[in-house]
Amino acid sequence: MDHDFDVCVIGSGAGAGPVVLTLAEAGYSVLVLEKGPWLTEQDFYKDELACCRRSVYTPQLTNEQHVIEDLDNEGDWVGEATSDSGWDFWNGNCVGGSSNFMSGFFYRLKPEDFRLLSEFGPLAGANIADWPISYAELEPWYSKVESEVGISGKIVDHPLAEPRSTADFPYPPTHEHPIAKRIDSSCRELGLHPLPTPRAILSRAKDKRRSCEYSGYCGSYGCSSGAKGSARAALLDRALATGRCVIRPHSKVYKLVSSSKGKVVAAAYFDADGQTQKVGAKIFVVACQAIETSRLLLSSTGPKHTNGLANNTGQVGRNLLFSAGGSGSGDFVYAGMTDKQAEALKVRGPFVNRGLQDWYVIDDKAFGGRAKGGTVDFLLRHPNPIGKAMSVKWDDDDRLLWGRPLQIQLKSLFTGSQSLRYEIFCDWMPTDNCYVSLDARLRDKWQSPVARVRIGYHEHDLKVGRFINERAMQVLEKMGAENIRSSVSGAPPQNLVAGGCRFGDNPGTSVLDADCRAHDVDNLYVTDGSFMPTGGSVPYTWTIYANAFRVADRIRRVL
Amino acid sequence: MNEQDKGISRREFITRLMVLGSLAASYPAAALERLRSKAISANEQAWLDQDPWKTIAAVQQHLFPSTQDSPGASDFQAIVYLRNSIENPAADGEDKDFIFNGVGWLNDLSRERYQRSFTAFDESERETVLRQIEQSKAGRNWLSLLLTYLLEALLADPVYGGNPAGIGWKWLQHQPGYPTPPEDKSWYKLAAPVRYQRKG
Repeated sequence: MDHDFDVCVIGSGAGAGPVVLTLAEAGYSVLVLEKGPWLTEQDFYKDELACCRRSVYTPQLTNEQHVIEDLDNEGDWVGEATSDSGWDFWNGNCVGGSSNFMSGFFYRLKPEDFRLLSEFGPLAGANIADWPISYAELEPWYSKVESEVGISGKIVDHPLAEPRSTADFPYPPTHEHPIAKRIDSSCRELGLHPLPTPRAILSRAKDKRRSCEYSGYCGSYGCSSGAKGSARAALLDRALATGRCVIRPHSKVYKLVSSSKGKVVAAAYFDADGQTQKVGAKIFVVACQAIETSRLLLSSTGPKHTNGLANNTGQVGRNLLFSAGGSGSGDFVYAGMTDKQAEALKVRGPFVNRGLQDWYVIDDKAFGGRAKGGTVDFLLRHPNPIGKAMSVKWDDDDRLLWGRPLQIQLKSLFTGSQSLRYEIFCDWMPTDNCYVSLDARLRDKWQSPVARVRIGYHEHDLKVGRFINERAMQVLEKMGAENIRSSVSGAPPQNLVAGGCRFGDNPGTSVLDADCRAHDVDNLYVTDGSFMPTGGSVPYTWTIYANAFRVADRIRRVL
Repeated sequence: MNEQDKGISRREFITRLMVLGSLAASYPAAALERLRSKAISANEQAWLDQDPWKTIAAVQQHLFPSTQDSPGASDFQAIVYLRNSIENPAADGEDKDFIFNGVGWLNDLSRERYQRSFTAFDESERETVLRQIEQSKAGRNWLSLLLTYLLEALLADPVYGGNPAGIGWKWLQHQPGYPTPPEDKSWYKLAAPVRYQRKG
C-alpha cells in the first residue's frame, strides 16, 4: 500500500522532537502536523505582552477551550469552561510546543519512581502502578538527551543521586546568580545537600545554536539565542536539515481515521484556510501533550474502535497527572545591607540553579514512615515587570490602589528588595477523579468536542507537600529572608501535565504497551507524557524526551 | 515554572464578565448615541481634545499623577498606549466598548452630582467621584481595567507607545530583557490572525 509518508507525527513538542529527528536521520520520511504557528528565534523577543499577557503562543479561549471539572462547596463535580473562568490550560501551541517556553530545569526520575507500588505500597483511593520498564532501561536515553538536546550541569555527590552511565554533563553549568552561594551555605548549615540544577540550556554554542545570553527572561519566553533546548531548536531544525522531514503548521488534526481492521490509515486535519485534508502514513505518532492526546484518541472513533481509538478497555484519558506540591517565597530587603550585598542580589541574568532532593524519599517518623517525597527548586521572582506591578493593584482590603499610595507601593516593590522563591514538586497521585473525557456540549472553532478535565487530587499529595514545605521554609529563614509566605494546594499546575494513556503490560489497565504502542492498534504510538502511570517528583520534560528517544528506536526497528 | 502572573485572576475575570452584561443593559441609550457620534479624528491633537479620550486621559492622570519623584500618566504616554492597545487590528473590541461606555457613565454621574463633566473637576472632586463609582461592581471593574492598561503603559516595551525611552523602567530601576521587540514583531503582528485576548 502506498503512503504519503512513512511516519506522521501529530504535535511537535518534547514528545515529538526525538521521534522526528531519529526517524528522519534513519532515512524515513516524516510529516509533522502542528496546530499552531511556526515561530523561530527571529520571532522571540523579551516582550512581556507577547509572552505572558496576550494570546500569541496559545489559542484564544473563546475559540478553543477546556471544561475544567472541580469540586464545588457542596461536594459536587461542576464543570466550567476556561473561556468563562479565564483559567488557561494551554501551554504553548506552536512548532516545538511548550518546550519553547520552559525554564528548562531538568531532573531525571529516580529508580524508585519506576516501581512506586512495590517500593512504597498501595494507597487507598490512588491507582498507583509500577512502570513496565525500569530506570536502567531508560538511563541510556536520559544520557542521550544530555548530548542531543544539550543539558548543562554538574554532578555532585548526593545521598539520593540516581545512577548514571556518564561521568558528568556534556556542558558546564550556566552562569550562576550570586544568591546560589548563600543558598548553599544555609542548606549545608541545615545538614542538607544543595544540588546544582541541570538545565536544558546551552552554556556554550552547539551547531547553529548560540550559548545562553543571560537576559534574565527565560521561563515563559521563547529563546532568541537558540540556547534553550526546545524540541524545535534542538531537534526539529536538525530533522529538517535531513531533507526528509516536513513540518506543516496551522494543521489541526481532528481525527485519526481507522480501517475495518482497526489500523490507523489517515490523519484528518484542518489546514490554515480551514479546509479539511487527509494524509496517510505507515505509522502514526500522537504527541499533543497529555490532555489533547487523550482528547484526539477519544474523538477518533472507527469500526473497531467504537469508544475511541485505543480505548477498547476504557482506559484512555484516565489517571491524568499534574504535579503536586506548592511554592513559597521570602524577601531580602536592601535597607540594612551593604551596597555590595544589595548589588549582588540585584544581578539579573544568571540562573539560581539550586535544588534540594534530600526529601525525595521521606523516611521520617514525623511523617508516619517511609514514603515518596519530592524536589525543591529555588528561583528568583519572575522579572516580568507588569505582572509584578499588578500584584499591588489591590490593597489588603481588596480595594483598588491608585495615586500616590500606588506609586509608593510600586517603588518599594521594585527597588526595596529581592524575592527568592521555591517550588515543590511531588507525585500527583493518580486517582479516579483526575481524567480527560469529551465534553458533551462545548465544541471548538472547528466543531470538535473539547476536552473535559476533572482535576481531583489525593489528600496524600498535600501531606507530602506540607512536609517538604515546612523544611523548604527553614532554608529561607536560615538565609535571613523576611516576609516568608508559602502555599500548598491541590490546584493543578496546568503546565505540568502527564498521564491519560498509561503504558503497562496489562491491556485491561493500560492503553499502551511497554514500547508505547497502543495495545489494540498496531501502527499507533503515543510519545508525549501521556504514557506515565505515575509522574515522579520532578518536572516531566527530560523524561518525555528520553522516553521519546527510546520509543523512536523501537519504531525504527519495526519500520 | 508556575507562572503566577501569566494566569488571570479567576475571580477578577468572572466579575468582569458579569459586569459587562449588566453595564450594557443599564446603560442610557443617549450616552451610547453620544459615543457613537464621536468618531476619533486622525489628527493627533484633535483626538486627545475630544471625549472619550479627553476624559480617559484625565482619569489616568488622577490614577497616576505626575509628582516630583514619579512620572505621571501623561509622562509615560498612557493614553497613547491605551489607544494603540484597544484600536489595534488584533483587538476584539470588548475592552474598548467597556472603557468607552464607562466614560459616558462617569460623565453622567459627574453632571448629576456636580453639574459639570469630569474633566472640569478639581482633584478632590475627581477622587470623590472615582471612589464613588468604585462602590459598584461595574465601576470597580472599569477602574481596574484602566489601572491595568496604566501599569502596562508604564512597563511594557516602548514599541507599544507607552514608557517612552524606558521612563517607567528607569523610575523603578527595572532592567529590561534583550533583545527588545522591533515594531514588526509586536505581539499583534505575531499573533495575527489570532485575535486579541487579554490575560489579566
